[in-house]
Amino acid sequence: MGVRGLYDRELNELKEDILSMGDQVVLAFSQALSFLETREVSRINTFITDDEKVNKSELAIHDKVTMMIARQQPVATDLRVAIAALKIASDMERIGDLAVDIGKAAKRLSEETKIEDIQDIREMATIAEEMLTSVFEAYKNRDLMQAQQVAVMDDKVDDLYSRFIKKLFTSTDLLGVEQTTQLAFVGRYVERIADYATNLAEWVVYETNGKHFDLN
Amino acid sequence: MIAEKAPKQMQEEVKAEEKIVYRAEQLNLWYGEDQALKNIDMDIQENEVTAIIGPSGCGKSTYIKTLNRMTEMIPIVRTSGRVYYRNENIFDKKYKVEELRTKVGMVFQKPNPFPKSIYENVVYGPKIHGIKDKKLLDEIVERSLKGAALWDEVKDRLKENAFGLSGGQQQRLCIARCLAVEPDVILMDEPTSALDPISTLKIEELVQELKENYSIVIVTHNMQQAGRISDKTAFFLNGEVVEYDNTDTMFSSPQDKRTEDYISGRFG
Repeated sequence: MGVRGLYDRELNELKEDILSMGDQVVLAFSQALSFLETREVSRINTFITDDEKVNKSELAIHDKVTMMIARQQPVATDLRVAIAALKIASDMERIGDLAVDIGKAAKRLSEETKIEDIQDIREMATIAEEMLTSVFEAYKNRDLMQAQQVAVMDDKVDDLYSRFIKKLFTSTDLLGVEQTTQLAFVGRYVERIADYATNLAEWVVYETNGKHFDLN
Repeated sequence: MIAEKAPKQMQEEVKAEEKIVYRAEQLNLWYGEDQALKNIDMDIQENEVTAIIGPSGCGKSTYIKTLNRMTEMIPIVRTSGRVYYRNENIFDKKYKVEELRTKVGMVFQKPNPFPKSIYENVVYGPKIHGIKDKKLLDEIVERSLKGAALWDEVKDRLKENAFGLSGGQQQRLCIARCLAVEPDVILMDEPTSALDPISTLKIEELVQELKENYSIVIVTHNMQQAGRISDKTAFFLNGEVVEYDNTDTMFSSPQDKRTEDYISGRFG
């Protein structure tokens, strides 16, 4: 074997690029969550501008895959690696945007919003973060079992989200319309990030065996 | 419910059976001591393009040459098993090879027109079959050349020598010559490997049109060509069919690692 050394290197680099973009969005998500507690406006503003880097990573992956299709004509597993890279990069870019949305909402949360008010969001976010870390491991190792476990974790996030929304709108300790809305938004953003992690898991399955599974 | 479905299912099975042009059963072939084909079981469907791919020496050319019994012209060749064309075993002693070759045309790697005019090349087969009527022969020439997408390029110089045509045109002339005897199946052994890219694409377009009326088996070294034009693809390796499936499946999710390695250019 080894007759397509350059091509094999390009395919490996593509997977490395995906994993490095994965690190970017995992970090962005974790920073966004920290802003829910610290709410430092100047740092949040820098964080929002930094999303441009994630967008650029997506475009770089897009260009690399386009060039690979044009010059190497991938088929079978190689083609699925290329297509999955495009889809995963696009889903990761959306995760980056949602992290920015969380940052923006953090700016709007007032001083009165207490740590206890975001406790449920924290719980959801911890699972969502685990899902992201786990799905990138599954991607790296083409691990179908791990990809499926990510989907199972999403069910927990969905349950927590329902519970959180119910609590938020039926609480006797009313937070005011603006605060309630912002918290509901943040809950929704975290829940969406978990959904995207599940999408990523579906692309891992596709890359590995060519099958489409709706894990959501 | 099951009782109602059963007859329909049976009809469908019969239909599928009718649509099989060729069926190979346990086909083995030896060149002297060397076994070139091993236990081939393979059906060729009507009005489909079946691509045969595989590295050099894998038996793909031998296989299609067996389909019109060209291999028996080689003295050291020995075969076993059965090959059915339209449900008749072509290895049967009573089977007439001339009839088979009327129904099954062949196009080779290098264009091989006769050293005659374009017109004479096309009418060669029909004349052998006893057609003498000039008007009818003219009709055959026009129909065959149109069928091979060559008519517009040569209609004003039918009397010129076929050697004056370009390689791509000569190959289409060979296809026209094949169509002139109204075959059922067209076998193509690397028909574009000696042609430039545009001529290659013209032949590929032509193959797509021809499958409306003919069943086509094409041996190709060009994987992308198999991907572009065929309905089914068979991967041969060391005389065996490693995998035979819909081309969509073969090029997106092949089952066998050897197929995957071959189509992605990692060996062969």
